[in-house]
Formats: sequence, C-alpha cells, structure tokens
Amino acid sequence: MLDLLPHILNGLTLGLLFALIALGFTLIVGVMEVINLAHGSLFALGAYFALSLLGGMWFGDTAFGAWWLRLSIETRYVAALFVGPALAAIAGMALELCLRPTYGKAPLYGLLLTFGAALVIEEIIRLGWGTGEQNLMVPASINGPVLVAGFIYSKYKFFAAGFSIVAIFAVWLFLEKTPYGAIIKAGAHDSEMVRALGYDLSKLRLMVFGFGAALAGLAGIIMVPIWGLRPHVGIDVVIPAFLIIVIGGIGSFWGALVAAIMVGLAVGITGAYAGAWATMSMYILLIIVVGFRSRGLFGRKSALEN
Amino acid sequence: MLQSKITRRGLLGATAAGTGLAAFAGPWKHNRVWAAASDKPIKIGITSDASGQYANSGASDRRGMMMAIDEVNERGGVLGRKVESIHIDTETVPATGSRVAERMITREECGFLVGAVHSGVANAISQVAQKYGVIYLNTNSSSPTEAGQNCHRTKFVWDGNGTNFAKAAVKNAIGSYGKKWMLLTNDYVWGHDTAKATKALLAQYGGEVMEEILIPQGTRDFSSALLRVQQQKPGVVSAAIGGDDQKAFRQQVAQLGMGASPAWINSQQDWPDVYGLPIDNLFGVFGTTWYYKLDLPGVADFVKKYQEKYPDTQMRVPGNVFYNGYMATRELLNAIERAGSANNIAVIKALEGHKMSAADRMQHHDAWIDASTHQVQQTIYLATANSKYSEQDKDDMFEIVANTAPDAVLDTAAAEACKLESYEETPAFDA
Repeated sequence: MLDLLPHILNGLTLGLLFALIALGFTLIVGVMEVINLAHGSLFALGAYFALSLLGGMWFGDTAFGAWWLRLSIETRYVAALFVGPALAAIAGMALELCLRPTYGKAPLYGLLLTFGAALVIEEIIRLGWGTGEQNLMVPASINGPVLVAGFIYSKYKFFAAGFSIVAIFAVWLFLEKTPYGAIIKAGAHDSEMVRALGYDLSKLRLMVFGFGAALAGLAGIIMVPIWGLRPHVGIDVVIPAFLIIVIGGIGSFWGALVAAIMVGLAVGITGAYAGAWATMSMYILLIIVVGFRSRGLFGRKSALEN
Repeated sequence: MLQSKITRRGLLGATAAGTGLAAFAGPWKHNRVWAAASDKPIKIGITSDASGQYANSGASDRRGMMMAIDEVNERGGVLGRKVESIHIDTETVPATGSRVAERMITREECGFLVGAVHSGVANAISQVAQKYGVIYLNTNSSSPTEAGQNCHRTKFVWDGNGTNFAKAAVKNAIGSYGKKWMLLTNDYVWGHDTAKATKALLAQYGGEVMEEILIPQGTRDFSSALLRVQQQKPGVVSAAIGGDDQKAFRQQVAQLGMGASPAWINSQQDWPDVYGLPIDNLFGVFGTTWYYKLDLPGVADFVKKYQEKYPDTQMRVPGNVFYNGYMATRELLNAIERAGSANNIAVIKALEGHKMSAADRMQHHDAWIDASTHQVQQTIYLATANSKYSEQDKDDMFEIVANTAPDAVLDTAAAEACKLESYEETPAFDA
C-alpha cells in the first residue's frame, strides 16, 4: 500500500491537469452543444502566443522590446498568463463567427467546420512559429525537483495542479455567482427564452466561445512546459478532453472535474504497474461508466428516459 | 422483347481477343516494361511522414532525399534521365503507409520508394513494395526486425538498428554503472525489438532486468514510470522511446533533476527529436550514426551545402535523419548508374554487397550493404550532451564519446532471421 501512495498522489495531480484541459471544452459543449474539435489547436495557439510574449519576439529591436526583456521572467510569465488566453479568445470568437451558419443544422456541420479550423490553425502555427520543438520558459521558482516523502516530484507539476484548482474555482464562481454566469446557464437551458427576455443570444454565444477558447489557451500555457511545444501538440488534448466530458456527463461542470480526477488516477496508477494499459485505462473507464450510466456520472436525464 | 444472341463464332472470337489482350498486358505488375521508355523520367515516391509522431523527422528525411535528387539532376540526371519525385504523407500510421505505397506504385507509377522513420510504417510499405518488385529504401527506421524477420529482397535499410546501438553501449555500461537495469520501452515494434536486443545483451554480459515498463505511443506524462524508477533504484535505465514521446520524456526527466542518476542509455537519438531542446534535457548516453561536427573531411562542406539549400529551415544544421535520407537516395541513384539500367533486379544486384568508403560517407569506418540482410553496416557513434555547450553555438549539442566499427556491432540475430525472397520470386520490371 505504501508503494501505491506516491502513485495516488501523482494520479490526483494528473487529474487536476486533465480537468484544466477539459474545462473550456465542457463549457462550449455544455452551453452551445458544439463539439469543438479545434479546442486542441486553441490550446496550442495560447501556448505559442505566450512563447512569443515571453521571448519578446513581437517587439523586435525596439526600445520597448529591450525594456520588455529587462523585466524579470516572473513578470513576463504572469503577463503571458493573461495575454496568451486573451489572444486565444479572439481566435475563438473568430471561429464562432464562422460557426454561425451551422447553428440549427445537423451537428456534423459544426464538427466538420471545427475540424477544418483545427487544421488551419495548426498550419498557421507552422508558418508563424516554425515546425520544430520549442521551449516555453517558466520562472525558476516554480521549476525543478521537490522532495516529498522521499520521492522526487516536479515542482512545476505541483504548481500546475494548484493553478488548475484556482482556475476551476474561478470558473465556478463566475458561472454560479455572477449575473453573466446565470445568463450563460440560462442560455444553455432554454436559449429561446433568453432571447425572449431581451438578451442578445449571438453576443452570448460569442462570449461563451471566447471564454472557452481562453481557457483552452490557458491550459496550453500551463501544460506545454510538461508536454513540450510543437505545432501538433493540440492533437494530444482533444481525446482526453472528450473522454472526460462523456464520463462526467455532457455539460456538467462537477462531472468534468470528477471524471478528470478518475481518469488521472486510472492513468497514473496503471502507468506504474501495467504501463502498456495506461492509455487504454481511460477507455476502459469510459466503457464501464457509460455501460452502467449512459448519460455519464452527472449528466442530465434525457426526456426519453422519463 | 430484347433477345441476346450469343453465337458460337462470337464467343470464340471474344475469347481469342481476351486471351491476346491478357498476353500483352498480363498481370500488370509483371509487365510494366512496355510502358518504360529511355527518356522517361525516373520517378521516386517519397514515403515520409508529414504528420503524426514523426512529422518533424519525416520533414528532415525528405530534405535529405531532395538534396540528393537535386544534385543528380544538376549533373544531368541518371543514365540521361531526369529524376522526379512525388511525396505523399504516410502520417506515421502503418495502414496509411500501405495505402500510400500502393497508390504510388499503381497510380503514380513510381519506380522506387524512399523514406520511413516509424518501423511499423516501414514494414507496411515494404510488403507492398515487394509485391510489385519495387525497390524501397527504409531510410531511418531502426527496428532490428526491418533487416531481420521483416527483410525483403526489394528493401534496403540505411539506419543503424537497435541491436547495433545496444551492442555499442551495453557492455561498457554494465561495467561502469552496474548490473541492475530497468527498461522503458515504447509499446510498438521498434521499442520491443530494441528492448529484446538489450535484454539479450544483458543476459550475455551478466546484467539483470529488474523491470520493464511499456510506454504506449502518444504518452505525454511519464511521472508514473519515473516514480517507479525511483522505487526500484536501478543502476541503469535503458530507454527506447522515440519521436514526440521522447521529447516530453526528456523534458520531464530534466524537470525532476534525474538526468545524472540513475545512468541513462538511450538507444538512438534522432537529431530532429532533440534539436531546440534545452541542453539539460540531453542526459545520458545515446547512439547516432552521424553528427554535423564530426572532424572529418567533407563534413563542413556538406553542412554548408545544406545551409545554402535550406536557408529558411528552422533546423540550421543537418542531423542523422537528414544524412540517412541523403545517403540512401544518393546511393540508389549511383546504383542505377552502375547497373546501367533502371531494371529493378539489376539495381538490387548493384546495391547488394556494395562497399562505401568512410571518406565518401563522412564516417570513421568503411560501410557496406549487407548482401544477406540488405542493412547498411556502418560506424556507430555514442554521444552525450556537449560539456562545452555555449549559448553562442546552440546547435553544437552533442559530444561524441566513442565510435565503433560496424563489424564490432553486427546484428547476427537479424542475419539469422532474415530470409530474402529469391530474384525469381521478385517481380521484374524496368522503372
């Protein structure tokens, strides 16, 4: 049992990271009922924006550029945590404008459009930042090893897990405790009624998509110091994110969080004792959960079940 | 009412016409000679990955091939014929590799196929190539099975394989770091074959495998495996992890500060997999077949030529993957020239047993194409992170610590497992 403890801790950490990845995805699916296959590309885009900002690539040899690079890495990193997601949000909003003709049509149109957008964004990244491996700097204070109960862990991973908790809590607060959150939730429940009450539904959808894209970009900035940064890094994101929202129940905030932790524990423990099954364990978990409860752990009951 | 009248005379006539046509065209794969003309360009199908785990290596591989093709065309082509190429993405997926090979041969009429990094993809392509008798150069995939149980008369393997690299490293590492080893193995053909070779050598030299952890392809988080390494406390960890998996793996080992202890042996380190990574990610000892700063004649000119041809490429210097792509393509075109014909059997014979001088290949020892396995037997280098690395010369990441002559690292097991098809079993045609 003592042998298992470090792997349980590792699984929980992994789960929190998975939750951060799935957060934006579940928001867009839950509110807009669009499976955004470009989520991974927005994840990558956020990280690349942060890379450019941290390295001062946009400012060139200007006086501002020189001043910017004189700032500490901590300051630039914090700035990147805001600017990267904001730019990803703009890209997300542009994507939402393209999606509008598909609303009310078969879901396949939205799927195809976001799939195409994923390819386009990936190519834009290749053209803009090159095809090779890049390295997103992180402040030394959150980098390096840390000793916990005789085991070496990554300090950065603990930071990332802690950051995930803060981000998840902030999103929950926004959705539950602000009037904007109430409108978003109402829009998900009955969009026609929201429109009848005088709210601009188009604007609401634009904001939600932008918010989801910002969360994807934020997850990218947090995750790439662990995964590495390359143009197709986003491919690694969509499948776990999709699995998590299906296990948790589509549209359920807490479902996504619980499912992410379950997936993290499954992958973390299997990875240590039966490595070949580590990836498969996610799918097995999906089969078990959906087999017993087709709408996922916290999914809403469908009208057909009444 | 319509009535069809089939007369005996009509039936006989149709049968005769059909037989005549079949005799002329026959099974297409055996009779493509009728389509070949001496002024027809030689067409090479480039089967490299442009997406998936080995997209980056595939691009480097392709650049090497293109430089060799352009050089030959600048000299007037081969046997007076221009060399043309076509590329289709094999996506680092074996099924795509099969499909691409089939299309390149039957629809694009490629006479030769070149390129691979992933062993599963290489194996899939080579099966299709053998079916049609098309010569296929596996430029960069290094599973021992490629020139072992999966060898083919039409396939030539240009990279050093997992056994070659293990032979160069295992015995010395047991002496230096101890007998207790852990293996981290990518869960696909190259990883398994490399681990198998390492296990055999450990058994031979008195080492012990404490545990083998299989790493599924596409793994991005290695913390479970790295915690397990800490629990087991091995003297050496031998890692056969490739492509993007390896980049993430290296990054995470460096973050944990585990690069110095335990000792790490990494089978082969492809240049595109490490280029651009911070130097502390380059821990342990690893194998390669070539480095751009080898102190040998011709290397500097080769690097310059690369930089002139690809001035905008992010990878400012060529690495082993580019080198293999270039050398393989150049030797194929030379073999056509030597054979005096683009007949596939004649070219195969020109390649089999062909010796290449160390000077010509810019390596420390002479190389040759093994006639019994079709693998290029060549110098194997062991390298580590450059201890004199500086920010002024970010490209100079490796420090070559040893070079081993090919006969000292021969993969004898592959030679025993390889059963090449006979010339007669291989469909013949003029490309």
